[in-house]
Amino acid sequence: MSDLVEQLVHGLTLGSLYAMVATGLALMFGVVRLINFAHGEFYMLGGYAFWYAYAELGLPYPVAGLAAVAGMAAFGLAYERGVIRAILTRTWHVQLIATLATSITLTNLAILVFGTQPKEVPTRLSAAILDVGGVRMAWQRLLVLVAAVAIFAGLEWFVAHAKLGKAMRAMSQNREACAVVGVDVQQVALATFGISAGLAAAAAALVSPLFNIFPDVGALLTLKAFAAVIVGGFGYVRGAIAAAFLIGIAESLAAGYVSYAYKDAIAFVVMVAVLLVRPQGLFGRRIGI
Amino acid sequence: MRAVRWGLGSAALVAVPWIVAATLPGQQRYVLHVLIFTALYGALALSYDLVVGHVGSLSLAHPAFFGLGAYTAALLATEGRWPFAAALPAGVAVAALVALAVGVPMFRLTEHSFAMGTLGFAIVTQVVATNWVDFTHGPLCVTGIPKPQVGVLRIATLPAFYWMGLVVLALVALLYRGLTTFRLGRAFHAVRDNETLAAAASIDPLRYRMLAFVIGGGVAGGVGALYVSYVGVLCPGELTVSLSVNLLVMIFLGGVGSLRGVLVGAAAFTALPEILRMAPTWRMVIYGLLLLVIVIRAPDGLEGLIRRGSPLGRRASGAR
Amino acid sequence: MALFETRGLTKRFLGVTAVDAVDLTVEAGELVSLIGPNGSGKTTLFNCVTGYLAPDAGRVTFCGRDVTGLAAHRIARLGIGRTFQLVSVFPRLSAIENLLTFLQQHQEESLVGRLVRAPRVRRLEAAAVERARSLLDSVGLGGRAESLAGTLSYGQRKLLAFAAALMPDPELLLLDEPAAAVNPTMIEQMKAQIRALHRQGKTVVLVEHNMDVVMDISERVVVLDHGQKIAEGPPDVVRRDPKVVEAYFGR
Repeated sequence: MSDLVEQLVHGLTLGSLYAMVATGLALMFGVVRLINFAHGEFYMLGGYAFWYAYAELGLPYPVAGLAAVAGMAAFGLAYERGVIRAILTRTWHVQLIATLATSITLTNLAILVFGTQPKEVPTRLSAAILDVGGVRMAWQRLLVLVAAVAIFAGLEWFVAHAKLGKAMRAMSQNREACAVVGVDVQQVALATFGISAGLAAAAAALVSPLFNIFPDVGALLTLKAFAAVIVGGFGYVRGAIAAAFLIGIAESLAAGYVSYAYKDAIAFVVMVAVLLVRPQGLFGRRIGI
Repeated sequence: MRAVRWGLGSAALVAVPWIVAATLPGQQRYVLHVLIFTALYGALALSYDLVVGHVGSLSLAHPAFFGLGAYTAALLATEGRWPFAAALPAGVAVAALVALAVGVPMFRLTEHSFAMGTLGFAIVTQVVATNWVDFTHGPLCVTGIPKPQVGVLRIATLPAFYWMGLVVLALVALLYRGLTTFRLGRAFHAVRDNETLAAAASIDPLRYRMLAFVIGGGVAGGVGALYVSYVGVLCPGELTVSLSVNLLVMIFLGGVGSLRGVLVGAAAFTALPEILRMAPTWRMVIYGLLLLVIVIRAPDGLEGLIRRGSPLGRRASGAR
Repeated sequence: MALFETRGLTKRFLGVTAVDAVDLTVEAGELVSLIGPNGSGKTTLFNCVTGYLAPDAGRVTFCGRDVTGLAAHRIARLGIGRTFQLVSVFPRLSAIENLLTFLQQHQEESLVGRLVRAPRVRRLEAAAVERARSLLDSVGLGGRAESLAGTLSYGQRKLLAFAAALMPDPELLLLDEPAAAVNPTMIEQMKAQIRALHRQGKTVVLVEHNMDVVMDISERVVVLDHGQKIAEGPPDVVRRDPKVVEAYFGR
C-alpha cells in the first residue's frame, strides 16, 4: 500500500514538473499562437543556471532559484526579440522547424559548454526524508507540489486581475480586437515569453534537486509537455495543467507496475489515444487561456 | 544534345570509383563510404519530401518507417536467414503497411495534431526498439547482418555498394519524378496548396495524402533495409527524432519540393561535414543555426535562391 | 424530376440555427438567385450541399440521387461545381494548370502509361489543354494562360476560378457571390458569362448581394432570412414582398 502511495507521490512530482512546463507552452500557444519546440531548453538552461548559482556560486537555495528564474526570464525576452519575432507571422510549419532548429542548437551548445555528464544539485530538502505513516518521501517533493500549486494560483490571479495578465487573456481570445483597442501586442507577447521561460526555470530550480540536469533533458520534456497541452485542449492552461498531472501519475504508475523501461512512451500513448478518440482535447476547444 | 549530356554524366557517375582511385589514392575507401551514405540519404530525403514537400503533411514519423524497414530486414536476414532479395521487399512491405495503419487515424487530425501524433508514434517506436530487448536486441544491437547476395551477384566491396547506392538513388528519383508530375503531381500539389479547392476539383485529399505517406514510408523502409545491409549493424539509436531534424535540414536546405534541390541538400548535408571534418556536436550546432536561418530567410532553400536569381526563375516565382 | 432539391435542410452551430428546414427546388436549366441579409445562411447552405459541412437534418438530392452528407470531392465528381466567396485558386500553378487540375476524373492514366507517355495519354492531355485554353479565352484570360495564378489581380482570379469550375462541365453550378468586390466592368463581364451559361442550358444557382445583378439576370429568386426561406418567385414579385423588405430594412 505504501508502495502505491509512493508511486502516486512520484506521479504528483512529475505532474507538477510537466504542468509547469506545459503551462508555459499553453500560454505561448494561447496568447501568441506559437508552437515552441525549444521550450524544454528553457527548462534545461534554467537548470544549468540554477546549478551554477547554487552549486558553483554557493548562493542560498531560494536566492539561487530566483536568480535562475530571473535569468531565464531575461533569456525568454531575448529569445522572443531574436527568433520569435521573425517567425510569428509565418506558417506553423516554419515555426515548428525554426524552434526545432533552435532546440538542437541550444542542446548541442549545452553539451559543448557543460559536457554530457549530468549535474547533481542536492539540497537539504532533497536529502531529508519525510515519513508519513510508513510512506517515505523527500521533503523536496512536498516543496515541489506546494510551490507548483502556489504558482498556478498566482498565475490565475495574475490573468484575472493584473493589467498585463488581463491583456494576455484578451489577446488569447481575440488578437485583432486587442490591437484595435490599443493593447500593445508586442509587449504582451514579450511578457508571455518572459513568464513562460521563468516558469520553466522555476520548475528546474524546484525539481533538479530530485532529478539531475543534463543537456538532453529538454527534448523529452518538450514532447511530454506538448502531449499535455494537446490532451488539455490547445491553449487552455487549466486543461494543460490537469492533463500534465494525469500524464505524470500515469507515467509513475506505469513505471512502477507495468514496465520501467517503457515509461517514457506513456505520455505519447495517452496523447495519441486522446487525439484519436477526442481530437479537440479532453476539455474541448476553448477560446482563450 | 541533352541525351549526350545525360550519357556522359551517367558514365562519369558510374566511373567514380576508378576516378577516385586515380585522383585520391589512399582516400578511396573514405570517399566511397561518404558517397554511399550520400546516395542512401538522398533516397531517404526524396521519400520524405514526397510527404512534406509535395502533399504538405508535416510528418515526423519518417524515422520510424526507416527503422521498421531496417529492423525487419536485419532480423529476417540474421535470425530468419532470409536472402537479401526477400528481406529487402519485406522491409519495404512492413514499413508501408504500418504507414497505412498509422496514416488512417493520423490523417483525421488537424495539422498541429498530425505533426504531434506522428511524433508520438516515432517516439513510441523508438522506445519499443530500445526496450524490447528480446526481439530487437535493444542497445545490444543486431549484429552480423550479411552483405547482399542476389543469385551470383554478391555486393561486398565498396565500389559494389557504391553502384548499388547509385542504382537505388536513380530508381527512387525516377519514382519521385513519376509521382510528382502530370496528373498525379497536380493532385498532390492541389491538396498541399488549397485543400478546400482540391475537393471542389474532385480530388480526395485523404486518398492522396495516404498515397504519399504510404509510398514515402515504404521507400524509407527500403532505404533502411539497404542501410543495414551496408553497415552490418543496427542499433536503436538510428531511429531517433534527430533523424527527422536531419531530414528537414536536407530538404529545406536544398529546396523543398524539388528533385534537384533535395539531392543537393542531401549531398551538402552528408558530404560537407566530412569535408570539413567537424566534430559531431559542433556539426549539430551549425545545422541548427543553418536550418534556423534557412527556414526564416529562404524557405525554398538553395533551389529557391537559384531560381530567384535567374531571369527565368524570377518569372516563375511570381509575386510572393 | 427536379435536377436539384433540398428537403428540410438544417444546420446548427452552438445553439444558432444557421439553416432552418429549407426546402429548395431547382429545375434543370434554371437560373436561380439565393439572396438574404448577412448571416441569413446562404453560404452555409452552399457548404452543406457541396459536402463541406454535414447537415444536421434534411435531405439533398441531385438527379434523383441522395447526396446528403457526401464528402466534397464525391459531390464534385457527381457534377456539381462551385466557386467560393473568398476567391480560391491554386496560387503556385499557372492559370492553365489550375484548369487542368479540375479535370481529374476525366483522365484515367495508369502509372506506367504516364511514365512512358503512351499515345492515348498524350491525346487526353492534349484535349484537356485544348479545352482549358478555350475556356480561358472565353473569360478573357487567354493571354495569361501561363501566368502563375498568384500573380493575377483579384478580378482575374475570380474569372479564373469561374473558368476552373466550368472545366469538368458540371450539370449544376453554384456561384458564391460572383459579383462581390470587383469593379463594374468585371461585373458586366460576369453577368455576360452567367447569361451565356444559361443559354447553353446549364443550371446555375448564385448567392449574391448585388441586387442589380440579381434582378437583372435571375429567372427566380429565393430569399433566406435567419436560416429560413421567407419568399421565392420571379425577381419583380420578390422585391415587392413585404416580408423581404422587412428582412432587409427591419420594421
